[in-house]
Order: sequence, then C-alpha cells, then structure tokens
Amino acid sequence: MSKFQPIEFYKNKKNEYSLLPFRFEPLSEVNYAVTNLVGEHLIIPRETLEDFVKHKLDSSSPHYINLRAKHFLVDDKTQIAKELLSIKLKTKYRVLSEFTGLHIFVVSLRCEHSCPYCQVSRQSDDKIKFDMSTDIADKSIDLALRSPSKNIKIEFQGGEPLLNFPLIKYIVNAAKSKQKEKNLSFVIATNLALITEEILLFCKQHGILISTSLDGPKDIHNLNRPRPGGNSYEKAVEGIQMVRAHLGIDAVSALMTTTKNSLGRVKEIIDEYLKFSFTGIFLRPLSPYGFALKTKTYSAYDANKWHDFYLEGLEYIIDLNKTGVKFREYYTSTILTKIFTSQEPGYVDLMSPSGIGIGAIVYNYDGLVYASDESRMLAEMGDTSFELGNVLTNSYEDIFLNPKLLDPIEESFAFSVPMCNDCAFETYCGADPVFHHAIYKDFVGRKPESEFCNRNMKIFKYLIERMDSEPYIKRLFMSWAQSNA
Amino acid sequence: MLKLHGSAISHDATLMQRGLFIVTKKSELPRTIKSKYALLLDNYLNYEEGYGAYISFSEVKISNIKNYFYLPKEMDYLGEGDIIRIEPSGRINSLFRINSSHNTILLTEQCNHYCLMCSQPPKNIDDSWLMDDAMALLDLIPRETRNIGFSGGEPTLYGDHFIDLINKTKLILPNTTVDVLSNGRAFSDSIFTSKFAAINHFDCVLGIPIYSDDPARHDYVVQSKGAFDETILGILNLKKYQQKVEIRIVIHKQTIDRLVQTCEFIASNLLFVDHVALMGLEMMGFTRANLDQLWIDPFEYKDILSEAVDVLTCYGINTSVYNHQLCVINDDVLPNYKKSISDWKNEYVDQCDSCLKKSECGGFFSSSKMYRYSDHIKAII
Amino acid sequence: MEANLIFDANIYSIDAIKKACYRNINRFAVNISKEEDTINCNITFKNTVTESQIKIYLDDFMKEVLDQDLRESIKKETEGVRNLILAHTFSKTGLIKDE
Repeated sequence: MSKFQPIEFYKNKKNEYSLLPFRFEPLSEVNYAVTNLVGEHLIIPRETLEDFVKHKLDSSSPHYINLRAKHFLVDDKTQIAKELLSIKLKTKYRVLSEFTGLHIFVVSLRCEHSCPYCQVSRQSDDKIKFDMSTDIADKSIDLALRSPSKNIKIEFQGGEPLLNFPLIKYIVNAAKSKQKEKNLSFVIATNLALITEEILLFCKQHGILISTSLDGPKDIHNLNRPRPGGNSYEKAVEGIQMVRAHLGIDAVSALMTTTKNSLGRVKEIIDEYLKFSFTGIFLRPLSPYGFALKTKTYSAYDANKWHDFYLEGLEYIIDLNKTGVKFREYYTSTILTKIFTSQEPGYVDLMSPSGIGIGAIVYNYDGLVYASDESRMLAEMGDTSFELGNVLTNSYEDIFLNPKLLDPIEESFAFSVPMCNDCAFETYCGADPVFHHAIYKDFVGRKPESEFCNRNMKIFKYLIERMDSEPYIKRLFMSWAQSNA
Repeated sequence: MLKLHGSAISHDATLMQRGLFIVTKKSELPRTIKSKYALLLDNYLNYEEGYGAYISFSEVKISNIKNYFYLPKEMDYLGEGDIIRIEPSGRINSLFRINSSHNTILLTEQCNHYCLMCSQPPKNIDDSWLMDDAMALLDLIPRETRNIGFSGGEPTLYGDHFIDLINKTKLILPNTTVDVLSNGRAFSDSIFTSKFAAINHFDCVLGIPIYSDDPARHDYVVQSKGAFDETILGILNLKKYQQKVEIRIVIHKQTIDRLVQTCEFIASNLLFVDHVALMGLEMMGFTRANLDQLWIDPFEYKDILSEAVDVLTCYGINTSVYNHQLCVINDDVLPNYKKSISDWKNEYVDQCDSCLKKSECGGFFSSSKMYRYSDHIKAII
Repeated sequence: MEANLIFDANIYSIDAIKKACYRNINRFAVNISKEEDTINCNITFKNTVTESQIKIYLDDFMKEVLDQDLRESIKKETEGVRNLILAHTFSKTGLIKDE
C-alpha cells in the first residue's frame, strides 16, 4: 500500500556515523570483543571492526544495527545513546559516593586450627596479646559508624572470632546503641568448631549471619584444615546444620579455598556443596599472602592449573543447571553483574578505582587499620604498605586521607594504567593494588606479566565466547548477573 | 462479540444534542438526578416521567414518551449502571460497562504515528468532542470503579487539555487506577512531563510502545522519523519524574527478529519501567492491509517469545504476555501469560471445544477468528 | 635470539608501536629507534625461546601493531564525546533537550 513507507525510507540516508568511545580485545584470529563505555559488549569479526573504525561499515549490515543499538555509534537516525550511556555511568559511579560498607573486626588472632595456607592465625592461649580489647573495639565502632555508607556491615574475623565471643557480643550491643540512622548487619566468619546454642541464640536475637569454610569432601577439608582431633570437616558440617536449625537455611554461607589437594576434584567439591543445599560456590584461588606464600603452598600450583580447575568447575555447574539443578559460581556471577548490569557488586578485588578502604576496611586486633583483608595479611608478611593508622591514636581523617590509601587508589585506577586504559575488559576488572604490591612490589605491576591480569583476562574472554556460543548459556549467565535470587 | 455501537431501530428523539446517560431500570430515582439516566423500560410498567432518555430492546408501543429509543437485540447486554451515549440521530454507543474490568475511553482518532498494524487507523479530523464526552463521562462513572483506560489515536496531542483530563480523573475518581495508551513522544518535553507529574496521580500508568532496539525499525513500524529517540527520551523523562511506565511490544514479522535484543535493550537501558507487555497481533485496521508484511504464526515464534520473557523476568522486570493462545506458547511462558483479551472481544474456535485449558485461555480476538489465526491451534487434552 | 622489524613511520605512530611493545613485554625486549620514514624495532628474545615460538610472537606483535593503530583512530575520534559524556555523568543535568 502506497500510504506506508518502506523500511529503507527510515534508514539513515548518508552512510555517515560517528564512533562512540569503545575498546576492543581479540578473542581469536577472527573474532574480536568490543565493549563500550558502560561495558556492553558485542563480538564482531576483525574485518568488520576495521571497516567500522574506518567509517566503511554499511548502515544496513546487521553488525551496524547491533553496534548502533548497543551504543557504539551515533548517526542521523538516533542521538539518544549519549544520554543513555551517561545515565548508566551515573548508576555505576553512584556506589562510590557511599563508600565503605564492609567493616572487618579482627576480634582475635588466635585459632584452634592450624591450616598451612592460613594467612594470619596464631596457635596461642595468650588472650592479652592476640585478642582485641574493648577500648580498641569502641574506637573502631566509632570509625565504622562515621562511614558515608547508610548500610554498615560488620564482619567478625580472626583467627577464630568465636574464641573471643564476649567481645563480639560487646561490639554488637555497642554498635546498636550508637547506630542512629545507619542500617547495621553482622556476619561472623567462623570455622564453626566452637559454635554453641548460646551463641546461636544471640545471633538469632540480633540477625547475625554466619560465614564458614567448606573446602570440599571430608578428606580434602581435613587435609587443608588440621585441628586437634582431625575433625574440622565433621565440626563444620555439624555446625552448618546447627546454624540452619536456629537461623534458617540461608543464614550460613560457605567459602572454599583451592589448594593443591583440590586440583582435579572440582566436581566432588561442588557435589559437596550441593549435598549441603548451598545454592552456589566461590571457586577461590589461594591468595599470595601470608603463610601460603611462606610455606610455598601458593606455588604448589600455577595459574594455568587454577584456570583449568575453575573452568572444569564452571562447565560442571553449567551442566548442572541444564539438568535443572539451580547453582551458580559466585566469582563468575560478580563478573557477569558487571557485564550485564549497571550495578557495582562491590567485590574488593574487582573494583576500579580499587576497593581498598572503599569496599572494605579492617580493624585489626591490635588497633591497626588496614585497607583490606589482604592488606593485613600482607602486613603479617612484613609489608606494611597498606597500614593506614591506629584506632587509638589516629582520627577518621588521618586514616581515610592517608596517602597510604589514596596513592595506591589513584595510581592503580585502571582508567589510567598502561594496557588497562585501552583494555576492553577494564570495566569488568579491578585494580587490586594489594595483590600487585605483594607480588611485584608496586601498585600496578606490568600487566602482561601480571598473574591477576592473565587470570582475569582469560576468564573474561572465556565467558564472552561461551555465552555467544549458546543462547542457553547467555540466559543462564544473565540470571547469574542478578543479585542472588 | 459484543456490539458496542448501534442505531436505534426506531426512536423519538427530542434531544437537541448528543447526551451521556447511565442505564437504569429504577423508576423511582430522585427528581434531581433523573435526567442523568436512561430508563430501561421493561414494558410500560416501570415508566416514570423525567428521565433523560428511555430505552428498550423490545418495542414499547406508547406514543407520549419523549426520547424513546428502541434498540437492536445485540445491545441487550446493556444493564444497570452502564453508560451510553445517545445521539439525536439515534446512534447509540456503549461507553462504560460496569461489569467490565477494563473500560477504555477513546479520546481521539488523530495520531502522529501511522503504525503498520494500527487497530484504530488515525483520521485527521477534528474530533475534540470525544474529549468533551470523556470529561462528561467522568462525572457519571461510579466512584468504586477500579480502573479506566484512555486511548486514541494519541491522547497527548491534546496537550494541556490531556493534563486537565487526568487531573479531573484524579479529583473525581480518587480511587480509580488509570491506564493511558500513548506513544510517549510528548513526554520528551520536560515541561509537559513536569505538568503531568504535578498531577501526582496515585496510579496512572502510561503504556508506551517500543517496537525495536533498532531506531530505524521502530520508526518504520510507526511510520514516523525520529519517533524512537523522542519516545525513549519521553520514557526517561517520565521516570525522572517518577511516573509509571509500561512498555508495550506488539509481536509481528517486523518486530520478531529483534524481539530478544529489544528486551535486552529494555533491561539494560530502561530497567526502571514498571511493566512490559508482549502482545499478539490484532486483526484490525491496518493489520489486514499489511498482513503480508506482518503475519507470522505465533507457533513459529514461540521459542523467541520464551527467550524474550526469560530476559525480562531474569532482570526482575514485571512481564506479561497478552493476546496469545495457550496451545501456541511454551510452558515456560505460563507464569507471565495473561488471559487478556477484553470480554467483548474474545472468542474461541471449534478446536477449543474439547480443550481442557479453555477456561484459562484468552482465546482470540473476534477479528483474528474471522481473519487469521495460528495454523497450530489444537485442544490441550 | 634477535629479530628486526621495520615499520613505515608515515603509517604507524611511534605511540602505537610502543604500546604494542608493552603488551608483549612478557615475551621479548625491544629497542625502538626512529629514522626518517621508518620505525625500527630491534627485538631480543630469551635464549629459551624456540624458532617456532619466535615466529608466533612476531606474528602476534605485528597484529598488535595493527590493533594499536585502530585503537589510536578510535581514541582520536571519540575523545571529545567521551569527555562530554563523562562530564554530564558527573553533572546534574541530562545531555539533550533538558530543562
């Protein structure tokens, strides 16, 4: 019918377009990943990329239409992209203005476990020396409550924090009495060996959650985590059930650490998590800090071995989902949140500007303040680069304006770091100055040699190619990108 | 199908101009309000003087009733509380049906779009009397009414007059939720949007179509250059002023190829919308003229529909599938399936007789039944 | 092991070459020098690197130079709009048609 115009009438007449900011990274000989300012991505052939940059891409090609719809270009058809990009960037950066939501209180460094990879714990009965005092606790609470964040999460760590449960009680009550308009939440990171009814009743009363360790099946777990009696696994399992009986099924989460004992057994480890009705797992490599480095546990496996371990696990989890078992891998989820949404998951290692001090802060048993959990572990190794001050002698301003915090944040900001600044995956990645300082003795490292860079780069490429290969996986990954459902 | 308009078989109109009346059988209403009502005559038994009009579905042979309209049998669904418009010519329109949960009031047939599948083809004539009627209708609609809809054409072409209408709706029907069908372009003007927002209606949803994430395709479907940018900007403005927005996508051959991408676009750029409606094609108006360009059997796109719903729900967007039959969708769409087709429109075909799910199914638009529907309709047993 | 690569200075910027070198810092060391119309890259490999690896490395390097050249074009064209978008991100108003 003549009164209707054909689609050609609505396409832009001239083959003229302007590029919007974007970056690219090769995935293979043929295909390249391109990402825009807010991290939206497409896969296009190298040839198309070159045509596109050289303004030779035909406006009727499907690649052109995709690039326009995903805000890689503007033409006379549409200018709305800039507005939309700006709104999404705003959302992404908003979280920075509400910094420091996580406050880690190391209430005791003592522990009844003696894990070879552990970074910080002491086997000691010396409470005076290794427990946090109420004085330090009070000062730390005051600092925590001064954070601009409306939601303050206090996490009790150790050592084994339950060895100093009276102080946990003290801190919870004291923080609540001073909370004013802040929303407070509490987590105890414990191996659960010392959990009791009394403790759980207190947790119930104050809505305290539990985070524990589960390294996999009994033999792996007990090998990784020696304690008197050799029953760490039994204690953990018993504890998980006890917590759930009192606080509910989701009140306890578990973390695993990959040691050389875990290699090749990722499926068994995941099955163990399924057995205890966890809805996901965080496949975590050993950190290059503390005793792990000292005892050479860290070098017991290299980056490639960890990557294989992670991929085997990820693929197994994908297969599980295909059979209808809902389960996710949390590190992947964190990255996917950055790929698919404008939300900032707030995971310290994957933040840029770096999440140190911003994502989390540590009040150590002795009153020293560290920029992150990893920072205090580094300090245990003698590297005090990220020691920000002492709660007894320093003010809030001293601590948060300390060059020891600001310099690494500024220097490592991936927007300005060589190679990061033109990396397509920069918006998915993090700065992690602590890691780089631990290994390379500067906040940035040289990225081609950086294990952090290699490890994450491999994962980004894998995830992007994998979801491009199969619509089911794209859908699954999209669902993982959403905050826990 | 219900017949919403008709002409009196015979009438004795002394009306000088068209009027809106509430249908009633009650002959003893107070004098002061009688003139608002059209008395539905049983026979002569309930006749009483002073009503605005008199109607019946079987002829009442009495000579001295003024404004008596003998209506065709097809309109005998009209009952107590329904609101009709009577024109001096004897033409009758049902404007508001008290037992219907979705009463939609047509405000204009003018539009700045010319959509390929428009069910209400635009007419470029002055029909502002429709707006006058809508304003008058508000005075007659019962206060308990849960919801009313306004549609067009493009209602916002009235500019400030449209704002007045929504404002009056809020003042006079304070508990009634409102749906407005608009292409959203008027809201690209921040000043207009701020005026609209200033009404501060407690629940007024703007249903705005986005047919593609590809601006050229959207503009093509609505036959208007620059439509995409203005509509998106309109939605952004509405959200800036915290107004409720529903995005409506009609699924057809021109929109199906990028339906999933379009949903991804909504998830990544317009995540804040309150609802997304994915709708089957209605065989009305221009659709029939453009059928070759538009028709695709829903059975052929059911996997794409599943994927689209999956994308939206995964991002937590409230999503509904309208105007589809249960036998041509995948089961994973069921949680979002709405038995949507209006009560005066939906019908079933022969295959449906033995279907166990018939009562849960939206069935067909009468137009689809008559004109074109899926080749894969079969009873679910 | 050493290798020499010569690039046309009229086509490639020294910056693009430098960036490509940086990305390969884990594979070899490079000495970059510029003459009139050429940029010379004197590349040194570790002794442990095999012939076949060297071939792959050089291949990758040349591709990387091409990529860096593309990146440069993108940056040149988009720097203005990038700054504009960032500026508006941190301001209170929208970009187009705002009050």
